[in-house]
Amino acid sequence: MESIKIRKITSIWIITVLTLFVASIVLGILMRLNQGGVLQQTPITFYSNMTIHGITMIGIWFVAGMAGINYLMERYVKTSYTANLIALILTVIGVLLLWAVTLIGKFHTAWTFLYPLPLKVMWAKWATPTFLVAMSILSVGWLIWGISMMTQVLKKYSIAQAFAWQHFKKDPEVKTPPFILISMITLVGVITCLFVAVVLMALYFAEYFSGGSFVNDALLMKNLTYFFGHTIANEMLYLGLAVIYELFAEVGGRPKWKTTWYVALAWNFTLIFILTAFFHHLYMDFVQPEGFQIVGQLASYLASLPAAAVTVFSVWVAVYRVKIKWTLTNLLFFIGVAGWVIGGFGAVIDATISNNIVLHNTLWVPAHFHTYNVMGNVLFSLGFFYWFSIQFTDKLVSERFSKLILSLLIIGGAGFLLAFYIGGADSIPRRFSNYPAEFTSAKFLANFGAAFATIYLIPILILFYNITKRCLKILFSSSS
Amino acid sequence: MQQSSILLLFFFLMGIALIVFTYVYLSSKKADQGMTNPLKKRFWFFLILTVMMGIFASVTIPKSPYFAFADKTPAKVIHVAAMQFSFFLSENAIDPEKPSGQQIELPVDEVVEFRVTSLDVNHGFAIYDESNRLITQTQAMPGYVNRLRYQFDEPGKYNILCLEYCGMAHQVMRSSFTVK
Amino acid sequence: MSKNIVFLFLLIIGFCNFAEAQTTSNALKEETNIYEKVFDVPLQVVDRQSASFDELYAQKPVILALIFTRCTGICNPFLVKLKENLQFKTQENPFQVLVVSFDSRDGISDMRRLAQNLGLEDNKQWTFATTDSISRLNQSVGFEPIWDSLRQQFDHDALLVGINKEGYITKKLIGLREQADLELLIGSVNNIFSPTYRLPNQNSLFSCFNYDPVTGKNTPGLGLLFLALPAVLTTLLLVFISYFVRRSRQKRVQLN
Ligand code: HEM
Ligand SMILES: [Cu+2]
Repeated sequence: MESIKIRKITSIWIITVLTLFVASIVLGILMRLNQGGVLQQTPITFYSNMTIHGITMIGIWFVAGMAGINYLMERYVKTSYTANLIALILTVIGVLLLWAVTLIGKFHTAWTFLYPLPLKVMWAKWATPTFLVAMSILSVGWLIWGISMMTQVLKKYSIAQAFAWQHFKKDPEVKTPPFILISMITLVGVITCLFVAVVLMALYFAEYFSGGSFVNDALLMKNLTYFFGHTIANEMLYLGLAVIYELFAEVGGRPKWKTTWYVALAWNFTLIFILTAFFHHLYMDFVQPEGFQIVGQLASYLASLPAAAVTVFSVWVAVYRVKIKWTLTNLLFFIGVAGWVIGGFGAVIDATISNNIVLHNTLWVPAHFHTYNVMGNVLFSLGFFYWFSIQFTDKLVSERFSKLILSLLIIGGAGFLLAFYIGGADSIPRRFSNYPAEFTSAKFLANFGAAFATIYLIPILILFYNITKRCLKILFSSSS
Repeated sequence: MQQSSILLLFFFLMGIALIVFTYVYLSSKKADQGMTNPLKKRFWFFLILTVMMGIFASVTIPKSPYFAFADKTPAKVIHVAAMQFSFFLSENAIDPEKPSGQQIELPVDEVVEFRVTSLDVNHGFAIYDESNRLITQTQAMPGYVNRLRYQFDEPGKYNILCLEYCGMAHQVMRSSFTVK
Repeated sequence: MSKNIVFLFLLIIGFCNFAEAQTTSNALKEETNIYEKVFDVPLQVVDRQSASFDELYAQKPVILALIFTRCTGICNPFLVKLKENLQFKTQENPFQVLVVSFDSRDGISDMRRLAQNLGLEDNKQWTFATTDSISRLNQSVGFEPIWDSLRQQFDHDALLVGINKEGYITKKLIGLREQADLELLIGSVNNIFSPTYRLPNQNSLFSCFNYDPVTGKNTPGLGLLFLALPAVLTTLLLVFISYFVRRSRQKRVQLN
């Protein structure tokens, strides 16, 4: 009985995510076309679209990761259906409010809503408080979900076991599955950054309702904003990775991956350093003490590289000279890992202070984070969605059709991203609705990016149709 | 130019990743069950990675810009006040109540200091050279002043763009100065 | 009664506004002439050989105070406060104080008397001097005393000018200032660079850092607490939940 419930709610999550994904990609393509001069939106429309594109994308891939680990976690511990449902309801409310705030209210602070921009009302008066309320609703909903999952894991594993500390010794008695290890580490990060969001919202509300007598400190607010924003964007990737650790071997018909001492070590590094990596968003704020900046650079390396190395290595070991059953699912995983690594190179280059001074807030930034999302995390989650949807039906996507889907994804994604990277190296600023004439390559690159993003959209639409159809069937099947 | 070498480095790393991933993938296609897996020497892999990371960090961190030219006395101070959606540049301090700016001319081959702040929201202060390359930048944060020192080696006209999103006219928020 | 209170209230507000306006305009004036070279005047020094200004600052960076001995206003409290502030100053960052009169009526004996009154005549760190080119010096540091013939007094700022060993003005302070500002001044003449500083009159309750000019380092502020709080909360939550679920499980085991 219970397993049907979780199956259904996971289907709802998947349908919601895919629908919003398609809508947000369309907004993204419209943005690129506007930057390329093909469309003439007003800057306010452009920036409202950009704001909702950013928030939605972060939001949906975060919940996609959460829904994924929640579903798989049922294999190890019982999870709370109620918490899952609360999160779903609050997410839907929050997202609806946010779309209203941006598309009707024309709220356009960019998704990072840097203080004090949300309080300098340049849009409908109701938009600012509604935005703050919507963000609070999302934070609370996700906090409940995260804490509930953490509680369930802790019922079975002690703290030390959940973080696989016993693996630092030889031949541990209890073995922590890598899925539990990574989920736990990610949940701790998620809960922390959602607490940050709550603090941030509280400070905003305090200033908003004080009528000018309470003013926040801009540096503190910026730190809090990126603590929340960067960390959640980063953790959602790790949620996707937890799914890979669980499913990659299984789908290929191979024995499950095990936790070893270096897997444990690498992920514990992530646990610690992920919390200070966000400092790299403030490299160009000379007000931040230099010590913090250097911590930021080192933490950026240490939070990502060991975990990436371990994961990539595990994937290589699992594939190299091993006869495995390739399906759409593990191909998506495999390509996703490659995309994640390549985006990671772009990120590490940018997280280096002496490079950041010529890359900060140029198109290099959307270049690298779109790489490990568009060609990384999205593929992880799509792989999971597909795997989930075919579990309960027998009709598969044929191999030739999979090849077509993957080729279009790669070609579209690569062209779309290449335009961003070259733009970044050409010093073209990010978040410009229209480019000044002196950036001679900018318009061409924007249209080039738009064209390839459209190619990327085709396989997404196919998968959307394919997966949604099956999820709807799961949703409306009475028994099973 | 720093940007070109960055792009090259990125393409190089990407190329390696693509080659290795493709190679690994293809190897699984023509594998048979009995083959041994040589990827057991993980220790070396991690050691090399750590060493490379260490070298990269220790080479780049000393190049951080915060204390550039700290031991020099600049030839000129320029006060910069950013405000939605324009910059005020002046050789005198700028009154936040009545901000005003002036045309700025800077000496070539000498250290100059920009004291950058914002009168409303966060802005960016990015300097572009004549060939339209981003050469240096700092942020403009309300309540704080960031001191950016730089030595211009080439005379010419330099553009300033706002590189922190600040609202609906962010893309036209700009200014310029000349170096002689 | 209530009328009086309202009046008092308005008065206070008015005063606050005035004080604020005063500090902003001073803050603006302090930013003039920075990194300009101070004019190299000849100096007649009390109880020492006369010297030119560049010989003086070449030895040690200079904190220059401009005063006149017949001042019935700010000059005396200004110097007393400066002396107090510098009393416990260690030699960490070297500097010397140069007190120069901007009043042509002041002779070297007036300056000697001033030094004696302050009890500083034997203090090596302090130099009292007059010059015959005061207007050039005033101009180069942006100091503009105005003669008020009615009161027979100068209207002028209490100005301190920091000059580094190369003779460049690195920082100025106007008004009676606290120790911390003075430390910043001494740091600046020793070319201690901080990539940032904070503007006055800003809310700093929840600021993350406070710059300490003595060490050139930042000390943590209240704001950092907000940054650390979430991580602490999560850790506590983790420990708490873990403890709680284990205990309730043990109970269940005992019941069975
Ligand atoms: C093919 C699909 C996509 C297209 C065409 C697209 C397009 C764009 C464009 C044009 C921008 C503005 C770039 C600029 O600053 O000038 C943008 C920003 C952004 N995108 Fe995407 N994007 C796509 C997928 C994604 C995905 C999968 C994510 C997942 C996290 C994402 C997250 C973001 C974020 C966070 C921003 C920043 C918004 C802001 O600056 O406030 N995008 N995207
Ligand atoms: Cu701006």
